[in-house]
Amino acid sequence: MSEGLENNQELERRLRSALGAVDPGEGFAPRVMARIAAGAADTARPARAGAVASWLAFGLAASVVLASLLAHEWQARRLEQGREARRQLIEALRVTDEKLDLAYRAVNTREGGAPPEHSGV
Amino acid sequence: MSGDEECARGDLLTQALAGERAAFAALVRRHQRSVYSMALRMLSDRHAAEDLAQEVFLQLFRNLSAVSSEAHLGFWLRKVTMHRAIDRLRRAPRLEGAAEELAAAVSEAEPADPLLERRLLALLRELPAAARAVVLLRYQEDLDPVEIARTLRMPLNTVKSHLRRSLAQLRERLDGTADALT
Amino acid sequence: MKASSAKWRWLLVPVGLVASAALAAPAAPLNLPDFDALAAKATESVNISLDTSLLGLAAGFLDPSNPDDAATKELIAGLKGIYVRSYTFDGGFAYPSAQVDQVRKQLAAPGWQRLVQTNSTRDRTRVDIYVSVDRGLANGLAIIASEPRQFTIVNIVGSIDLAKLHRLEGKFGVPKLDLPPEGRDGKPGK
Repeated sequence: MSEGLENNQELERRLRSALGAVDPGEGFAPRVMARIAAGAADTARPARAGAVASWLAFGLAASVVLASLLAHEWQARRLEQGREARRQLIEALRVTDEKLDLAYRAVNTREGGAPPEHSGV
Repeated sequence: MSGDEECARGDLLTQALAGERAAFAALVRRHQRSVYSMALRMLSDRHAAEDLAQEVFLQLFRNLSAVSSEAHLGFWLRKVTMHRAIDRLRRAPRLEGAAEELAAAVSEAEPADPLLERRLLALLRELPAAARAVVLLRYQEDLDPVEIARTLRMPLNTVKSHLRRSLAQLRERLDGTADALT
Repeated sequence: MKASSAKWRWLLVPVGLVASAALAAPAAPLNLPDFDALAAKATESVNISLDTSLLGLAAGFLDPSNPDDAATKELIAGLKGIYVRSYTFDGGFAYPSAQVDQVRKQLAAPGWQRLVQTNSTRDRTRVDIYVSVDRGLANGLAIIASEPRQFTIVNIVGSIDLAKLHRLEGKFGVPKLDLPPEGRDGKPGK
């Protein structure tokens, strides 16, 4: 038992040694800042100047844009809802399996649980 | 950490929150080793690890107001890095690192037994993603099981179970390697 | 870790259940009480309610070309609902006897049977597993689990292959989170 403990301690020591930090290099921070700057530049792109149009044409264009924005908005929300539903599903299945495993381990140890009640089907 | 150091760290975060890019860049330099190392050991691919590490800091930049202190920043970075890495592993085919990648993943400190440490890293890659994350947070980031449970949003018993099983598996396979070589 | 389907027969054999796609009508979802008092003291709360339509939505976002996602999609094919209430605490917590009794009253209804009752005083862990049976087929599952720092109730409506669920263990890992702002400092690493 003490040898096992020693082995574990030795393994842990080796793991700590093997898992020391690794640097991504001096250029890493500048690359991150460059991506941040590129992202900021995208959002700050100046609006395209358009020709002056009549108020009807402007209204029509505005409606088309609004409809497309709403569709995009709906799509984005649906995407978000779907991803969230998927995430919750996986979490729910994980918790279920974890608790079943807990019961299995409890039943299979010496201080296990009561024998299952069953009335037969 | 001395009071002056903590103060300096706090100032850096405050400055970054105020929009000072240089301060944010300093935060990146301060935490890049930890984030990149976690990503590298999870993904076993330098390019994927660099990409993931960059994304983590980009996400930090966009959500910096959610970070309340330097201590919280460390917690936030570990949490985001691990979640992204696990998610990426779940979606992408298993990344098989070449020998050079393994060499890159070995710590920078002069290893006492480089062959053994390389073998350990190779065996670590065989662990399931969640178990690997637990082992990294324990032995690379030096978190205790309660902190690991918080970081990974995992029950404490599951963390302990992962640690127990992973160490047993690593030991068994290391012993198998030793037997094969003798 | 290999998962053996034999492992889950311990749960199914006593009542001669077969874990297959249900032909029986699904059991009604349990009416789960509010656990506000627990949630207020918990460091983490999981509150999931996926009915048929949300399960369908989730299934639509499982990637059929990804083997784990495909297996998950197959696993939930017979499900009509999955409901989870789980609370994690830093220290001990007051067992919500009154609310649990409300759930147990529903589990005493015809069709429900308690399959397993485990109570470990050493680990201070208690897990009860109930199954709802209709015409010899399982159409619902309920789990009430109390551990030193966590309390969990799970209700599954419909049929689920427990062997398939266990084969996916380790693949679920940690769910992807779009992390909301943290309300509390993380502790520094040691």
